[in-house]
Amino acid sequence: MPLLAVQGLTKLFGRLVAVDHVDLAIEAGEVVGLIGPNGAGKSTLVNLISGFEPPSEGAVAFAGRPLDALGAPAIARLGLARTFQIAQPFRAMTVRQNVAVPALFRAVPAPSVGAALREADRLLDSVGLGPKAALPAGALTTPDLRRLELAKALALQPRLMLLDEVMAGLTPAEVDAAMALLREVNARGIALLVIEHVLRAVMGLSSRVVVLHHGRKIAEGPPARVTADPAVIEAYLGPGPASR
Amino acid sequence: MTPALSVTARRAGGWRLALVLALAVAVGLPALTNTYYVRLATGILMFAALACGWNLIGGYAGYPDFGAAAFLGIGAYTTGVLMARAAVPFPLALLAGGAVLLRLRGHYFAIATLGFMLVLQQLAANLELTGGGSGMNLPVARSFTTFYYWMLGVCALAVAAGLSLPRLRVGYAIAAIRENQAAAEALGIAPLPYKIVAYSGSAFVFGLVGGVYAYWFTFIDPPTVFNVDFAIQAIVMTLFGGPATALGPVAGAIVLKSLDTVLTNVSIFLHNVFFGALVCLLVVFAPRGLADLRRARGGILAALRATLRENRI
Repeated sequence: MPLLAVQGLTKLFGRLVAVDHVDLAIEAGEVVGLIGPNGAGKSTLVNLISGFEPPSEGAVAFAGRPLDALGAPAIARLGLARTFQIAQPFRAMTVRQNVAVPALFRAVPAPSVGAALREADRLLDSVGLGPKAALPAGALTTPDLRRLELAKALALQPRLMLLDEVMAGLTPAEVDAAMALLREVNARGIALLVIEHVLRAVMGLSSRVVVLHHGRKIAEGPPARVTADPAVIEAYLGPGPASR
Repeated sequence: MTPALSVTARRAGGWRLALVLALAVAVGLPALTNTYYVRLATGILMFAALACGWNLIGGYAGYPDFGAAAFLGIGAYTTGVLMARAAVPFPLALLAGGAVLLRLRGHYFAIATLGFMLVLQQLAANLELTGGGSGMNLPVARSFTTFYYWMLGVCALAVAAGLSLPRLRVGYAIAAIRENQAAAEALGIAPLPYKIVAYSGSAFVFGLVGGVYAYWFTFIDPPTVFNVDFAIQAIVMTLFGGPATALGPVAGAIVLKSLDTVLTNVSIFLHNVFFGALVCLLVVFAPRGLADLRRARGGILAALRATLRENRI
């Protein structure tokens, strides 16, 4: 049984089909990439799985448990963490306090606020934010905000993380650092669904890549095969000369 | 211990000492001064308690609650009815008022808070139990100083709530929800119960103040206790002193109530203009309160200059 099982998931916004009968399975400890052009429905898919929007049709199960009746907070406590495409810090709180929040509200919470803060310090060290733990989160730069998102998701002690463009806006050197960090996270046994525009990162991290286009899954397989798929090339670059 | 930590610890120790000193002065005040000042101080403590109470929902949770005075009215009438109609001793009547309020649940969030207060005002004006529109009298207390200490107690309770909240698990939830509700939900926090905690905490303080107020003035009627002015003053004092800080609302109440008293003695007209003008100035120059200006680099003047530049005034 896969850790995450998505079946026939569909989302309609009025007459627009944002996500169209998508099936997706992620095994424990696996790294799966999710790519697709702008507006392909990637973020909507994340919102549906994490309980931020109700699906129009279809079902999601996590660790064998159907998620349809659960809200976002309950899904997070099951160990399914997500990050946001636009970082969502608690601006007036310190970086350390930001990370203590999930540690205090996950399924097995830290025993005290003090313990949560100490744990936050350890996590911040591991993502390279240790020296900035006492700053207000509102003062962080974009790359640091991405690290903070990651630290917050990690503090939930998740089994699966849905990473919605955690590398957007990073320089190539910062992308390398972020990739190394994600490999470390995965080495702890946490499965990842990596949604990225930075193809180099997705291809380098994932053992399997899923391609969405107009809400539909148009390809799935090992990175090398997917990038050579004519349907994928067409989705990104438009119809080629052969089909004109 | 790192140097940074020990400095913080020393500062925390200093704060604690200052708090204990302030409390000692407050306790000894009635013995040191005459009735006029004790009455004035009771009024200041009352508004300090209201501001601290409002700060729980409006500051820490970030919900601008304009109907908070509803709970002052409920507290006043609960105390009044129990004491005048059932001869229940004051402390018991006060506790009952608080207990009734704590049982109120979250659907009040759905009601526009102001409308809620007006509904209650009409209710009190039309029930026989509350004496209707002509109000009700309470037994007269023997000593005036008692009310000073009751208000001091309620105020200390409200300050203690504000001081401990940021150190508690529930305080982390409330702050996270205020800062970013979607992010809070993504990290496992179901917002409703924590909003209810902040709301009922604030309602509890308003209810207690209402109870003491009723006994203090010995006469209550619907427009006096279900009065939006209580909420507005609490809001202005909180914004002035610094929302989501434990002592900001107290500072706001002391400064504004004293100024208010002086202005009333000088000119009634000035007094009426004062709060309106202050709200405008606050929103433009210090939307996060004086506490924030004080923290800014270079002190209040530099911060004001920066705000002026930012707003292109």
